[in-house]
Amino acid sequence: MNADHDHLSEWTRLSRRGFLSAATIAALTGCSGLRTTRSGAPPVAGNFSELDATGEGGIDLVLERGPLQIGGGIGNAITVNGSVPGPVIRMTEGKEAVIRVHNRMGESTSIHWHGILLPFTMDGVPGISFAGIPAGETFTYRFRVRQNGTYWYHSHSGMQEQLGLYGQLIVVPAGPDPVAADVERTVVLSDWTFEDPHAVMRKLKTMEGYYNFQRPILANLGQEMEIRGMDLGGVLASRAAWNRMRMDESDISDVTGATYKYLINGRTADENPHIRAEPGQRVRLRMVNASAMTYYDVRLPGLPMTVVQADGQNVRPVEVDELRITVAETYDVVVTMPADRAVTLFAEVMDRSGYARATLSPMSAVAAEVPERRQRPLLTMADMGMLHGAGGHAGMAGMGDHDSQGGMAGMAKHADHAGMDHTAAGAGAHAAQGATLAVTGLPDRRQHGPADHGPGSITMGHSMAYRRLDNPGLGLGDDGRRVLTYKHLRCLTTPADRRAPTREIDMHLTGNMHQYIWGFDGKKWSEADVLRFRYGERLRINFINDTMMNHPLHLHGMWMDLYAGHAYSENPRKHTVNVQPAELVTVDISADAPGQWAFHCHLLYHMEMGMFRTVAVVRSVTEGVANADH
Amino acid sequence: MRITDVWPTHVVLAWLLAVGLPAAEAAEEKIPRDHAHHPSGAEEAEPVGPKLPQGMTLDEVLDRAAQAPPDGFPDAINDNAIFSYAVLDQFEYRVPNHGEERLGWEGMAWIGYDYDRLWIEHEGERSVEGSEHGETETDLRYSRLVTAFWHAQGGVRYANDWADDVYADTWSVVVALQGVVPYMVEVDTSLALSEDGDLWFEAEGEYDLRVTQRLVLQPRADFSLFAQDIPEQHVGAGLGPVDLDVRLRYEFTRRFAPYLGIRYHVTVGETADLVEAAGEKTEQLVFLGGLRIAW
Repeated sequence: MNADHDHLSEWTRLSRRGFLSAATIAALTGCSGLRTTRSGAPPVAGNFSELDATGEGGIDLVLERGPLQIGGGIGNAITVNGSVPGPVIRMTEGKEAVIRVHNRMGESTSIHWHGILLPFTMDGVPGISFAGIPAGETFTYRFRVRQNGTYWYHSHSGMQEQLGLYGQLIVVPAGPDPVAADVERTVVLSDWTFEDPHAVMRKLKTMEGYYNFQRPILANLGQEMEIRGMDLGGVLASRAAWNRMRMDESDISDVTGATYKYLINGRTADENPHIRAEPGQRVRLRMVNASAMTYYDVRLPGLPMTVVQADGQNVRPVEVDELRITVAETYDVVVTMPADRAVTLFAEVMDRSGYARATLSPMSAVAAEVPERRQRPLLTMADMGMLHGAGGHAGMAGMGDHDSQGGMAGMAKHADHAGMDHTAAGAGAHAAQGATLAVTGLPDRRQHGPADHGPGSITMGHSMAYRRLDNPGLGLGDDGRRVLTYKHLRCLTTPADRRAPTREIDMHLTGNMHQYIWGFDGKKWSEADVLRFRYGERLRINFINDTMMNHPLHLHGMWMDLYAGHAYSENPRKHTVNVQPAELVTVDISADAPGQWAFHCHLLYHMEMGMFRTVAVVRSVTEGVANADH
Repeated sequence: MRITDVWPTHVVLAWLLAVGLPAAEAAEEKIPRDHAHHPSGAEEAEPVGPKLPQGMTLDEVLDRAAQAPPDGFPDAINDNAIFSYAVLDQFEYRVPNHGEERLGWEGMAWIGYDYDRLWIEHEGERSVEGSEHGETETDLRYSRLVTAFWHAQGGVRYANDWADDVYADTWSVVVALQGVVPYMVEVDTSLALSEDGDLWFEAEGEYDLRVTQRLVLQPRADFSLFAQDIPEQHVGAGLGPVDLDVRLRYEFTRRFAPYLGIRYHVTVGETADLVEAAGEKTEQLVFLGGLRIAW
C-alpha cells in the first residue's frame, strides 16, 4: 500500500479506500456492488485502485458493463473493479501472479497481459490461447513473472478495449532498479467514444473518411500552402496528384476527435486530471497508450524528459522534448519538477483533432497553461515511398505528368536498387534458410508491393519502402523540438539471446482504405495460413508498409529485437513496433515460446478487419494446420 | 514504495544523471564496441527454459501448437462480418424551365462481405400534379470486388412506367462495373440487354468537390448509348439523353445532407428528332432541391 500514498491524489485515495473494501466484498459474496455509489449516480472514470497480483492470495478483477461518468457524459463502459482505466496491477519479478477474472457481463471476455512472457494458455486471446471467459464465469490467470518494467493489460475480445477494458501493469524488478526517481506516476492515455464501437466500425466500413473533418477543401488551400511551403499552383498540383492516385493526403487517423474524447487516466483535458509532483522531485512517468486508435505526441512544455524505458525494457537514457507514443507502446520518462510552477503534460493526437492533458503539481485544482495547438500534418510523397527529390515535402507538382497509375513511373528506374541482397522479393512471406544473416548495415530500402496483393491492397507497386529510423513521424521534427525516434533506443543491458538470425521472411502491411480491408500480403486473417516459427530459431521479419497509414504491430509471447542500426547487442527489444507509411522495419525474434500466439496491428479496427495472424511456434515450419480459422 | 526508499541506487543514479543522449553518443565513438554494449557491466539475467502451461511437457505444447484450435474456441477476430449500406443519393423536387414539375429519386444499397455482395440500384421519377404518371428502374445485382477500386456486377433489371391506365414493364439482364477512376471520379457503368432484344450502355460519373468540411459541390454526368432505336422510349440509336447535374449539399452529418442543384438535360441526333416529334423540348434546365440520406 505504501506506493499508493504517492500514487494518487489525496481525494482519490480517500474515496478509493472505501471503494476497495466494497470491491473485496463484492468479489467474495458474488454480488455486484461495484457500480453504484452512495448517491446512486454512476461511478466516475479515473478512480482506479492499485493491486498486487503477486501478493499473498492473488487478486480479483471484476468486469462489469454499465453507465460510467466518462468524457464529460455518461457512457456505457466496461469497468474493471468499477473504473476505467482498471486498477494499476503490480507484480514482482520472479514471483507467481494469480489473477481471478470475474466476468459479470452478458458477453464473453478476456484479458491479455500485453508484453508479458508467459505460457501461451495464459496469454488471454480467445480462439488462440483459450476459449475466452464466458458470461458469468471466472477464469484464473496464474503465471510466474519473468521480467520487469511497465506494461499494460486489455481485453482481446471483440471491441471491448474501446469500451474501457484496460489498465496499467507494473512489474517491479527483483533486484535494484537502474532507474532513479523520487516518485512514480501512472499515465494511461486512451480514447473514448459514446458511440457503440460496432457502429464506429460500420461507418468506417461503409463511408470512407467518415470521421475526417480535416480534408483538403477549397477553404483550406491557404493552410495547405503554409503546411507544405508551396505556392497555390504547387498545392493544386499536389491535390490533383493525390486525387489521381485515389488517395486522401489528410487520411492520418481513421477515428478522430469528431467522435473521440481523449483521456489521461480516464479524464478529459477539460477535467484536467491531476498528477501529484512536488517541486524538485524527479518524477518517473510510466506512460501507456491504451488507445484503440490514437497516436499521442507527448510533451511537457518547457521541461525536457529523459526516456529510460521503452515497452518495459530499460534503455540508455535519452533526453528529448517530445515523443510519439504509438498505440500499445509504453514509455517511462523521468522529469524533474521545476521549483516554481505547475507543468502541463500535453498529449496531442497525431492528426491534431484533439488532445489530452494533465497537470503535474503539488496540489490538485491547479491548471497549468495549455500550449498552443499545432496544425495538422498532411501525408507527403515520402509516405508513399518517394523519398527522392525534395525530401518529401515538395516535388508533388510534377506528379501529374507521369503516366503510370499513381504517377510512379519515375520510380521504376530505381527498382534495380531494390532487390539488394534479397533476390526473392516475390509475393508473400518467402523464406531464405540456412546461413547466418547480417546483423548490421542492412539495406535501407525495399520495393513496395508487388502490386499483385489483390483487391485487399492498394499498393504503390513501383515505389520504395525505406528505413526511416531517425524519422520522428508525420508532423514531428521540424519545429526545433528534440523528438524521440527509434534510432535513439538502445537497450541498457544486452538480452541473453542475440544470435544472428538464420531465416528471414517479408511481410507486407496491406490495406484497402476504400473498403476498409486490412491484412498482410493482401490477405485477412480468415484468408491466411498460420505463420510458423520454428521452436528455438532466430527469425528475421522485414515489415514493408505498402499502405499510407501507420501500423503498430504487436507480437504476443516473444520479443521483437528492433533493428535500429546500432551494434547488434544494442538494438532495443519491443513488444509493439510502429511501422510508418512506406517504411521498412526489420525485427529479429527468438522463437523461444512454444504454442500459438497472436500477431496483429494494434489499431483495434484494423485488427478486427483482418490485420492479424496466428503465429504457431512449432517443431518444423512445414508441419501443422493450414488455417487457424476452422 | 518509493524506489529510492527501497533500493539505494546511487551509482546508477549518478550514471543516469551524467549520461544524457549527446554524451552517450559521443562516448560510443570512443569506446571499443565490446565494451560499449554493456553499459551496466552485466548481461541481463533471464530465466531459462520455455514458458510451458502447467501440467504440459514441451512435446505436448509443440504438438498442440501444430494443430488447429480445439473445438469450442471462437474465431480470434471477426474479419469476415456482413455489413450493409444504403444511400438515397437523390430525393428531390425537379422544376424544369418548361414542362411539369416532378419528384425524382435515386439510390443504392448493398449487403454482404468485403468481396461478395448483393447490390441494389433503384431510381424513379413521378408526376406531382395533373395526370398520374411515372417510371422506375431497379437492378438486383451480385457484386464482386475484383480489384482494389472496382466491383464487377451482374444481375437483372426491372423497369416500369405508367400513365393513367397504361402500364408497361421490361426485364433486362445487366452487367456492370462500379468503382473509382483516377482523380477520384466515382463511376457506374452498365450494359443492359432487354427481353425485347434492345441493347444499351449507361454511364454515370460524379465527383465531390469539397468547399468546406461540410459543404460539397458535386458535378455529375449521366448518359446512355443505344444500339438501336426504341421509339416508345423516344430514343434513337446512338447517344441517348444526357444529364449534366451540379448539386451543392450541406452535410449536417455524413448521413443527412439537404441540397440545391441544377440539371442540364439535352438530347441530340436521332433521339432529339424523336423527342421533337413527340412535341417535347430537346433541351431543359431543371432546378433541383432535395435530400441525401444514408443509412
